Amino acid sequence: MSERAIRQRAEHLASTLPPLLVAAERVAATVAQGVHGRRRVGSGETFWQFRRYEHGDAAQAIDWRQSAKTDRLFVRQNEWEAAQSVWLWRDSSPSMRYQSRFGPCEKLERAGLLLLAIAALLVRGGERIALLTPEGVDGGTPATGQAALTRLAEGLMLEAQKTSGGASLPPIRRLPRHAHVVFFGDFLGPIEEIDAIVREYAEAGVQGHLVQVLDPSEEDLPFSGRTQFQGTEGEGSLIVGRAQSLRAEYHERFASHAEALRHLTKAAGWSHIVHRTETPPQSPLLALYQAMADGLA
Amino acid sequence: MLTLGSLAFATPWMLTALAAVPVLWWLMRVTPPAPFRMRFPAIRLLFGLQSDEETPAKTPWWLMALRIAVAVLIILALAHPILNPGARLKGEGTVLLVIDDGWAAAAGWDQREDTLMNLLGHAERATRPVAILSTAPRSDGAPMTVQGLMPAPEAREIIQGLAPKPWPVDRQGAAEALADGALEGPVEIFWLTDGLGAGADGNSDGAQTLSAALEDLGPVEIIAAPISELALALSAPVAGAELQFVVRRVAADAATYWLRITSERGQILAREQVVFGPGDEVVELAIDLPPELRNRIARAEIELQNSAGGVALLDERWRRRPVGLVTIAALEGDQPLLSPTFYLERALNPFAEVRNGDIATLLGRELSVLALADVGKIAAPDRALLDTWIEDGGVLVRFAGPKLAQDVDDLVPVQLRPGQRALGGAMAWTEPARLAPFPEAGPFAGLVVPGDVLINAQVLAEPTVDIGEHTWARLEDGTPLVTGARRGDGWLVLFHTTANTDWSNLPLSGLFVEMLQALVRLSQGVPTQGDAYSLPPLSSLDGFGRLGAPTATARPAPGDGFADLIPNPRNPPGFYGLPEARQALNLGGAIPVLAAVEGMPGGTEFSAFNNAEETDLLPGLLTAALILVLVELLASLAMRGLLRATPATTATTGLVVMVLVAVVAFGPVPALAQAVDDDAIALDAALRTHLAYVQTGDRDVDDMSYRGLLGLTRVMAARTSVEAADPIGVNPETDELAFFPILYWPMTASQPEMSPQALAKLDAYMRFGGTILFDTRDQPSGGFSVGGVGQGTQILRRILGRLDVPPLVPVGDGHILTKAFYLLDDFPGRWTGGQVWVENVTGGANDGVSSLIIGAHDWAAAWALGDDGWPLAVVEPGGDRQREMAFRFGINLVMYMMTGNYKADQVHLPTIMERLGE
Repeated sequence: MSERAIRQRAEHLASTLPPLLVAAERVAATVAQGVHGRRRVGSGETFWQFRRYEHGDAAQAIDWRQSAKTDRLFVRQNEWEAAQSVWLWRDSSPSMRYQSRFGPCEKLERAGLLLLAIAALLVRGGERIALLTPEGVDGGTPATGQAALTRLAEGLMLEAQKTSGGASLPPIRRLPRHAHVVFFGDFLGPIEEIDAIVREYAEAGVQGHLVQVLDPSEEDLPFSGRTQFQGTEGEGSLIVGRAQSLRAEYHERFASHAEALRHLTKAAGWSHIVHRTETPPQSPLLALYQAMADGLA
Repeated sequence: MLTLGSLAFATPWMLTALAAVPVLWWLMRVTPPAPFRMRFPAIRLLFGLQSDEETPAKTPWWLMALRIAVAVLIILALAHPILNPGARLKGEGTVLLVIDDGWAAAAGWDQREDTLMNLLGHAERATRPVAILSTAPRSDGAPMTVQGLMPAPEAREIIQGLAPKPWPVDRQGAAEALADGALEGPVEIFWLTDGLGAGADGNSDGAQTLSAALEDLGPVEIIAAPISELALALSAPVAGAELQFVVRRVAADAATYWLRITSERGQILAREQVVFGPGDEVVELAIDLPPELRNRIARAEIELQNSAGGVALLDERWRRRPVGLVTIAALEGDQPLLSPTFYLERALNPFAEVRNGDIATLLGRELSVLALADVGKIAAPDRALLDTWIEDGGVLVRFAGPKLAQDVDDLVPVQLRPGQRALGGAMAWTEPARLAPFPEAGPFAGLVVPGDVLINAQVLAEPTVDIGEHTWARLEDGTPLVTGARRGDGWLVLFHTTANTDWSNLPLSGLFVEMLQALVRLSQGVPTQGDAYSLPPLSSLDGFGRLGAPTATARPAPGDGFADLIPNPRNPPGFYGLPEARQALNLGGAIPVLAAVEGMPGGTEFSAFNNAEETDLLPGLLTAALILVLVELLASLAMRGLLRATPATTATTGLVVMVLVAVVAFGPVPALAQAVDDDAIALDAALRTHLAYVQTGDRDVDDMSYRGLLGLTRVMAARTSVEAADPIGVNPETDELAFFPILYWPMTASQPEMSPQALAKLDAYMRFGGTILFDTRDQPSGGFSVGGVGQGTQILRRILGRLDVPPLVPVGDGHILTKAFYLLDDFPGRWTGGQVWVENVTGGANDGVSSLIIGAHDWAAAWALGDDGWPLAVVEPGGDRQREMAFRFGINLVMYMMTGNYKADQVHLPTIMERLGE
């Protein structure tokens, strides 16, 4: 690759990154409104409350300035700011690069946006975030702050650049207990494979969230006429004389698939959020954030 | 070539491909329509689902029909079908076109030309050499020859230059020319005959001779109009008698024509129906007109014939001149047979308008001849009147008698002896005298003297030295019987005998009528007929019966035998003589017999002119196929689901596509000067001078207008300081006209009707200094004139009828148009002749520039130059001079537009300088 091509590519990357981040921040901002930290005493930097001195408190904990104002001794307590690690994963398989006439963007793009937005929210909340990569692949250790967010975005970009596309299912990796994972994808694959992965993580004590990003056409099957459907990941193809005649049966099947997903996440204690690309991204983000806030709390 | 009725196929073997159509049908049946392919991530969910309806693996029948229609259309198009194919070439070798281009061919000349063009088209396609033989004698008198061999395009130019001649064909001569024969090898002959055989050329077997000569060369196809459409011949009435026209034709079914009689200026004086019954050959038509109208007749023609044979020109000889008879009241009425005026009236009535009265009354009105019978002395007041009248050109004819013999005044041509001389009375020893043959110098020259005219008494002239030259008729013994002398512009004539039968029986004879006729003719200034005089041509008819300047090859006609002259290349029909005493030479009466061509040798094929135009169906079929292909494409796309939209948008899209296809297929609509960017156009138009033309919507005409004005612009830039930009086409409906000094407006049939707004705009344009040059482009059919019948003229009339048009006058000598830059006499364009009309400018409005100029010369075609600088159109009759003159007219025109009356001032410059006190 010539120097010029590299530079061009770098510039291209650099130019797309900030807008994505900005968009994610914008989406996150609408959700972050009014949501605050732990709201309890803990080891943290921020002042939380004064408390009467009780026996057994360390003398260093006494706030002499406050105590001097009255006859009693006061201890200064800070807010508990224990940060959680959250591993994020996005499906970047070819099936995610799909956009029908009815959807405003590719599923991949929307999933990336949601991922970055939740990451931005988590960073604000002080959580540590990292991209979930397969064992042995350097995904970076969980970190917090704007730099982590940027690194996350870069990681997403790099993965999206891969011509072959990534795996359609999240990798299995040993994570600390009580860690959180968030999976973004279409989850249209075989239900058993998804179940196996969720079960694996859940047994390791990992909290998880499935965000299913779908194109409207995938749920509605709005096609008609003689159509040849082609799989995106080598599933083969199917010629249908009148696509509209399949619609009712397909809806049934789709509903049962969704039901199965809901069931398996429920069994693992995970949350399952469905998002169609033609709807605004804020609502799934809020739902996800709330689900995570509960889990993190 | 395969012919089915009016349809023919140029490459019929292509039709065999139609046999493959069923195969195509089968192939399409077994091939299902291609599906609409799409990626679908959730395909896993689709696997195993069963569509309740089976896949329509077959293409629907209507789509198949569509496709088969496309295939059939393309095959038909490749077979090159031609609708109404014209005369066609069959054989091989040289194509000889024999063309009767005499007067009788003029009626259907367009048809002839179309047929010839068709034939040449075929010859060009077959790359066969062409030879041309026209059977009318050439106007330059050159011997007839076969022109050729040449390629078809060259022949086309010759054919375009060919026009019917105003004289009969000479088939004998043509046969001889053929015998000289440069033609070798196989020859295929087409003879476009005028259909008149026996006698049209004064030679009853000329047609057979030519036909036989042609037959010797190769197969002959004679192309002729049906008998009912053959030319008619109109004979002028006998001069000086009742107006009795004779219309002749070849016997055919009943038919009706119109005879139109017009004045010198084209006013219609009478229009009479000419009704032929079935089988009739001759119709005689007596026209009764009041003398005032009758005297204005200059031309009679059969309408819609447009041939020299259908036109009769009438000169002064046909006019009834007013002749006054001075009557002596008491005598008249009681004994008419004794009254001299009785005989005079009877003799004059057939050819003159006779008025009675005393001298003062008679001279009160216009009068040509005044007859005074036996009046000796004229009273003084009358005498003064008479003197003036004679000086101004009147002819006074006096007759002798007892009173005159006694006492005569000096108003006589020769001195008279008092008293009379009686001859052959009972007491006399002499015989009554007979007339001697008339002297050659007098007005009676050529009249035959009958033997039974006897003169019993006469008055005698004094024998003077000049008596001989005053004597117009004499007796056998040499004494003058009629003497005459010139007085000023008039004549003084004396019959030395009475006007009644007292002194002679001359008034009873036919000679008397003829002598009076000669005298009345004298009053019109017909020059004295000598034996060797000749009549120079004044104006000539062309083959279409249009009167124009004499052709360059016209020669003076001999005076004697003028009446029997058959028009020929040297003496084409028209007017001859002096302008004030012209004589008409007519073709119609000189044609001995009208009969249809017949009696051809066997093997000759007859066919008719193709009336319907040959239509090549290939482009139309291909267009239809293209449209169907596009429809099929849309349908297929819809079938495959590529047009997944609501039905309404599909329909709209389809409609839009169809319209686009139609626009592309049926030729682009001429780009009109749209007001897309008004300011830019206005700026461009205003900052440079542009010649402008009105877009008529006819692409060829508009293109020619553009080319013509472009050519003029270039020539102007080269010769003058007018450096105009490229011409602009405007649409009066939508465009602003104020920028353009001149608007060239050719008339076309497809001209849309003007809206009131556009008319108001044009009115304003003309009122505020613009000039419109209307070009009716129909000079061949008469041009713009009072009685013009050309198509362009009629369209122009329609337009002018709705415009505010000022009074018009023909461009006369001294008009600024004739001297704005070049000095010009006439304004030829593609055509010559005819008038150019301008506004009768009286005041100084618009700098004295006429707001409209009207002509019929198709100037744009004459000005049009191609990209290579060569002219685009042929000028008629042709020549570089004509084109040059056309350009000069254009330059004059623009100069006139731009400089207004500046040149008029130059004309008056000498006068102005004089007035300044030099």
